[in-house]
Amino acid sequence: MIKEESLSGFDSVKINSRAIASIAYLAATEIEGVKSTAKDYRYILLEILGAKNQTGIRVKFDKNNDVKIKISLIVKYGYSIPDVATKVQENVYKALEKMAGINVKDIDINVRGVER
Amino acid sequence: MKFFTILGVTFYVVIISLIGILAILFSAHILPVQDVNILLEQLYNDGSSRLIIGLVSALLILLGFSFAQLILGKMQKERTIAFNSPTGRVTVALSAVEDLIRRMCSSIPEVKELRPYVIAGKRGIEIDLKVILRSEINIPELTTRLQDLVKNRLQDLLGVDEQIIVRIHIAKIVSTEEKDKKGKKEFEKTPTIPFSGF
Repeated sequence: MIKEESLSGFDSVKINSRAIASIAYLAATEIEGVKSTAKDYRYILLEILGAKNQTGIRVKFDKNNDVKIKISLIVKYGYSIPDVATKVQENVYKALEKMAGINVKDIDINVRGVER
Repeated sequence: MKFFTILGVTFYVVIISLIGILAILFSAHILPVQDVNILLEQLYNDGSSRLIIGLVSALLILLGFSFAQLILGKMQKERTIAFNSPTGRVTVALSAVEDLIRRMCSSIPEVKELRPYVIAGKRGIEIDLKVILRSEINIPELTTRLQDLVKNRLQDLLGVDEQIIVRIHIAKIVSTEEKDKKGKKEFEKTPTIPFSGF
């Protein structure tokens, strides 16, 4: 199951992992060369069961409350995969820092396919 | 291995073994069919037994999905190209590289079909291309062109410095003439209205 973990970024503000995933999703998909995020069967199953906003992005918190994000991507054909991946990492990092005040420890990108 | 994985595997093995033992007993005529009938009837009529069976079945389905994900996930983990960047790790599934090669080669009209298989090892990236070509082509020239295209484009798009080895296996050559003949025959075979001349 997908854990719903929260991070205390400020005195009394808790940010849900879904919100972090949504910010990361928006930041990732606005990069040119990204076709979409790739979803595994769990997210598809959850969507069938009626769950909304399944982005296919995994957010994990370790013991020190550091955030780790795993993004699976489908890249558009013709774009350099390392360039797109690096741009996505940078944009997600900036967006999370700006919108949620979170310093992400790792942003792992997994390119799962290439489409036109 | 995680605790829940061990628990799941144990549960699955026990259930499958039980089914297997019952099937063996049934096939060896050790388990009388009357007893099986009585047991099934009892289970069918008893509400709590039905509930338990339903729950166990749902659990089995969930376990099946989890195992599929576990196995496929492991397979996927093994078949990737990875490199590190300052903000994290980037992995490219080899199936994505295969997609890329397929799309690259779709622009070559002489290639009718292409099936790539990519292996990432110590020697670099090894690519096996199984191709079906159209006839009336210069095979050495085309294969060299294909190898150069795949190598150069992959180096550009993946940004890898490792050696890329492209092996081509021509599986079939499809004649364009045969196609034309077939087309003509089909044209000749087109039904005409009998006595239409009268």
